[in-house]
Amino acid sequence: MSVNKSKPVYSPLHADAAGRFHILLGYAEGGDALSRVLGELRTEAPDSLGRTRVLLAGTPIAPFVDPGLAGVQGFGTLGELLAECRSLLERSSMGTRVYIAGPEHFIGRVLQIALEFNLNPDEVRTEAQGTLARRVHCVHCRATTEEVRTNRTRCSGCSRWLMVRDHYSRRFAAYMGVMVDAEAPGELPPLEEIYP
Amino acid sequence: MNDAQGIPVVVKAVEQVTPLIRHFTLGAVDGGPLPAFSGGSHIIVVMRAALRTHRNPYSLLSSPRRRDIYEIGVRRMEESRGGSHFMHDQVEVGSRLEIAHPVNLFGLDKIARKHVLIAGGIGITPFLAQLEDLHGGQVPYELHYSVRSPEHAAFLHRLQDREGGRLHVYFDSEGRSIDFDALLSAQPLGTHVYVCGPAGLIERVIATARGYGWPDSHLHWEQFSAPPVGEAFDVFLARAKLKVHVPPDRSLLESIEAAGVQAPYLCRGGVCGFCHTRVLELEGELLHNDHFLSDADKARGKSIMPCVSRARCTSLVLDL
Repeated sequence: MSVNKSKPVYSPLHADAAGRFHILLGYAEGGDALSRVLGELRTEAPDSLGRTRVLLAGTPIAPFVDPGLAGVQGFGTLGELLAECRSLLERSSMGTRVYIAGPEHFIGRVLQIALEFNLNPDEVRTEAQGTLARRVHCVHCRATTEEVRTNRTRCSGCSRWLMVRDHYSRRFAAYMGVMVDAEAPGELPPLEEIYP
Repeated sequence: MNDAQGIPVVVKAVEQVTPLIRHFTLGAVDGGPLPAFSGGSHIIVVMRAALRTHRNPYSLLSSPRRRDIYEIGVRRMEESRGGSHFMHDQVEVGSRLEIAHPVNLFGLDKIARKHVLIAGGIGITPFLAQLEDLHGGQVPYELHYSVRSPEHAAFLHRLQDREGGRLHVYFDSEGRSIDFDALLSAQPLGTHVYVCGPAGLIERVIATARGYGWPDSHLHWEQFSAPPVGEAFDVFLARAKLKVHVPPDRSLLESIEAAGVQAPYLCRGGVCGFCHTRVLELEGELLHNDHFLSDADKARGKSIMPCVSRARCTSLVLDL
C-alpha cells in the first residue's frame, strides 16, 4: 500500500442541493453515477433542473434526455467533451456545482480544467468508475503517455522505460513516470499489469 | 503572541478624517523598517492607560509596499470600553504606543479569477491595503463601499483618485444601498467575495451568496468583536493555580493578563482561534461571543475563546 498523499481519493457521487447550477460530466462507465445525481436533483432540488447540463462521451445519452434540463449533449470523442467543458465553465456563474464520473484519467482531465477556473473541492465532486489505466507524465522529457496499465511503460516521447509512480500531479493530470534503469541500464523489473 | 514581542512605535501624524474616524500614522521608535505584511492584515495596539491596559485590533490600511510607516483608522465607538476613546482623546503626534506584529486573517485568495470587495463604514480599512496588492495585477476586481453619508466616508478621495470605475459608493443619506442580488447572482466562476463592516452587512452578504449557491470557500469576512460587557464572575486557572476575578467591563483575557498570567492571543476579536482554551470544570453556562467555534463546539462547553467570551457561573476552571 502506498502512503503517498497525492493519490486522489474518490467517493460515491451525490447531488449538492445547495448549488444553483449543475454540470454533470460523464465518460464511459460514469453514466450510472450521473443518473443517481440527476435522480437526487429531481427530488431534492427540482427547481434547479432547468439550470442543469449533462455532457457525455463514450456512454449513451438516451437515459438522460429530458426537455426539463438546460441541455444534454453527447460527444464523439473525449477531446470534444473537454473542449465544451472549458467553454461552458467560461460562461458559468458562481453557484455552479460540477460532478465528474468515469475512469480516473477522465476525472483528472476535467479537474485540470476546473483548476483553471479556481473551482475548489466544495464545488466539484468526483466518482471513479471503470479502468484504472493511468496517464503518465515523463519527468525527463515531459511527454504524456496515455492508458498505461502496467508497472512500467515506454515513454511516448523519449522511449525511456518509466516506472509508474503513485505521485500524482493535479496540474498535469498525470502520475509521474521516472526512468527505471537509469543506474543499471537494461535491468528491468518484470512487466505486470497492475492498473486494469 | 504576548507583549514581550511588541514593537515600540511613535505617532507621526493624526488626522480627523470624518466626525467619528481618526487616521493615525505610526513609525518605529528606532526609525527602522517595520515588519512586512500583506493586504488584510491587522495589528494589536497596546494602550497603557492610567487605570488599565487596552489591546485593540486595527486593520492596516497603508500600502504593504511601505515599511517605514503603518496607517490605521480608528472609529470612536459610542459604547467604548475605553480603547477607541483613548486613541481619540489621549494619543497625539509624538505619543508612544506598542504594537504586535501584523497578522493576516483576511488575505486575498491568490488564485482567484476575480475579487469583489464589500465594505461598510470603517470596514473600508483592510481593503485600502488589499487594493495596493491588487494594483498592477491582472485579476479584475471591484469595490463596493456603503457608508452613512459623504461626510462619514473615510478615505473616499484616496479611493476615487486611484480606483475610478472600479469603485461603487452607496450613501445611506441618499437612500442608495448595494443591490446584493445583482452583485452576487451572476459573477464568473472563480470569483471571491470579501466583506468587512457591521454584522448586519456581513450576514446579508453571506446569506445572499449562499442563496445563490456560493460555496463557503469563496466567501471571506472579517469583523472584530469588541468584548461585550457582562456580569462579573470568577475563574480558576488550573496550571497557574490562581483565582482571577473578571469584572463586568473587562474581558476574560484582559483579566487573566491583569493577574500576571500570559495567555495566547492573536486577534483579540473572536476571529482567529489562537486563544482557544480548554474548560476543565464548569458550574453554569459559557457565553460564547466568538466567530471561531462551531455551534456544536459552543454547545459542548469544553472550550472557550477568552478574548471575547464570558461565563455566567458559580465555578469555572480553565487549562491555563
